[in-house]
Amino acid sequence: MSALVAAPQTGAVTPVGLRARSRPYRAIARATLRSVLAFRLQFALSLLSVLFQLVAMLTVWHALLSARSIPGFTWPQMEAYLLVGFSSGTLVSTMSDFRVSYRIRTGQVALDLVKPVDYQSARLAETAGSLVTELASICFVWAVMLAFGLRIALPPTPYLALFAVSFALIALLKFSVIYLTGLLCFWTKNYVGLQWCRLAVTSVLSGAVVPLSLLPHWLGTTAQWLPFAGMSSTPGLILIGDATGWYAVRLVAVQLAWAIALWLIARLAWRGALRQLTIHGG
Amino acid sequence: MAVIDARGLTKVFRQPDKKPGWAGSFKHVVSRTYQEKVAVDGIDLHIEPGEAVAYVGPNGAGKSTTVKLLCGILVPSAGEVRIDGLVPHEQRAAVARRIGVLFGQRTQLWWDLTVADSLATLREIYSVPETLYRSRLERFDEVLGLGDILPVTGRKLSLGQRVRADLAAALLHRPSVLYLDEPTIGLDVAVKERVRTFLRSLGDEGITVMLTSHDLQDIEDVCRRLVIIDAGRIIFDGDLAALKDEFAKDRVLRLETAGPIESAELAALLPTCEVTAGEHPRAVTVRFDRFTTAAGQIVSAVGTLAELTDFQVEEPSIEDVIRRVYAGELLAGAGADSDTAESDTAEPVTAGDVA
Repeated sequence: MSALVAAPQTGAVTPVGLRARSRPYRAIARATLRSVLAFRLQFALSLLSVLFQLVAMLTVWHALLSARSIPGFTWPQMEAYLLVGFSSGTLVSTMSDFRVSYRIRTGQVALDLVKPVDYQSARLAETAGSLVTELASICFVWAVMLAFGLRIALPPTPYLALFAVSFALIALLKFSVIYLTGLLCFWTKNYVGLQWCRLAVTSVLSGAVVPLSLLPHWLGTTAQWLPFAGMSSTPGLILIGDATGWYAVRLVAVQLAWAIALWLIARLAWRGALRQLTIHGG
Repeated sequence: MAVIDARGLTKVFRQPDKKPGWAGSFKHVVSRTYQEKVAVDGIDLHIEPGEAVAYVGPNGAGKSTTVKLLCGILVPSAGEVRIDGLVPHEQRAAVARRIGVLFGQRTQLWWDLTVADSLATLREIYSVPETLYRSRLERFDEVLGLGDILPVTGRKLSLGQRVRADLAAALLHRPSVLYLDEPTIGLDVAVKERVRTFLRSLGDEGITVMLTSHDLQDIEDVCRRLVIIDAGRIIFDGDLAALKDEFAKDRVLRLETAGPIESAELAALLPTCEVTAGEHPRAVTVRFDRFTTAAGQIVSAVGTLAELTDFQVEEPSIEDVIRRVYAGELLAGAGADSDTAESDTAEPVTAGDVA
């Protein structure tokens, strides 16, 4: 009966060319954006909590700076710096921790292995999808702050361009760090502890809470060379004009190097996780 | 060429061997010992395009592991597997385009999207051309009643709706092979029937269906070929109907008569049958081989002793047959109880002509 059936015509074409090859990922990004929009309330709440943090930080630093001067930071500079910190905290935050680890904890990852997409790129596409709403809320908060009298002394145009690059790299860096932490679930089977650990390390070493130059000298200089600095400190310093010249370029170069390195490390980690999953059965 | 081709497929899991109690836990930290568990043990499986194969076995027999090996979700410890000539765990993306999966407990739909949006996203992921996509959706609507559930969000689907939507999702890219793991679990009778009818029709399109199920009705309705696995080995591979003919020769006839009937007297008249007394003096039960004795013979034999008022024939179900295979009764080559199996080839038993 069956031997006579002609070779099946699936109609599915193997994609050729960049546009066709990126098609699945664009679809995944759109699907994620739609899902995020379905969670309007949750999104608003998480935005509210970050805003609350921002207001608290502004208050604390305002009090500190009016009591005594801190080298390198005037009050308007600190305001702008903290706003960058808020923005970096908002980027790649919407459920991305949850999304990356959820698939592993529930075994949903088995279904991902039978999809014709690259796992890591698919997760990046999801992140890109939720980035849209995150950027929208960042713009909203900046607009409100500007309306309420925030005055930023903008640096010269080349620095603005450098800032833009640096700010964009935050997303890639944060994605890789979150993705890597998520992959650890393959071995730990638990995510909450890992997430807290990551949040604590990130918030201190990225300079989002306290500028790195105000940390103990050894810690501050070490942190400059770690990937976390690129997740808040680097773009912040460039925007307020504290990092200039080759120093600024070097900071962004470190950021870029880490973005590439972490992406590749994540690939290796996924390969290891895949071996764990496919050879030992997860 | 076989679309699924597995040779000597073996999967060994390594499990930490922990002794009970504190001492055991401590010992495990210091020196780890592992126990090897053979989940799938040298399986050979060749399945042609368009075949519908039921893959059954008791819990823990290695069914799911086999399916995962065939999908590339697991890497074999030994042996090899090819899907359409490709090695699943090496050419993941290419194999992914050729297979569809439906694991009863999991969904590939997006929780927060409508079914329509989920399917549209999958269409992009598999690069299905628009026209083909439309015609396939129409077909799914006809047989699965998909139209009603397209606007429903993933999380709001009932189980039956979800399975139907997931079936559509698994078949959207027209795979060569469809793996189904418990596709009708928890479905009501009407939906079950619909799903089975749909699955039956896939063979005509050249789609190979591999079905693991505990629902034996699924198996009888959908599949012609049956593969039984136990303890990681295939213990039967052959035609379902032939298996039934071969091993379910016995029929049971329950008879009631107007007056009392003596079972010993009847037994004397029917030497080839097994006669037992019924629940009351006017009832008797006769077990017979349908190839050597006709039911009519029994009825007329009873007629010489008493007036027949009622009778009932019981046919063994596929359930009984499979239960007997599990129990080792029908195992050829396994030594002990090989009396029922005529084939003297080495295991697995083959009944009938499959190809």
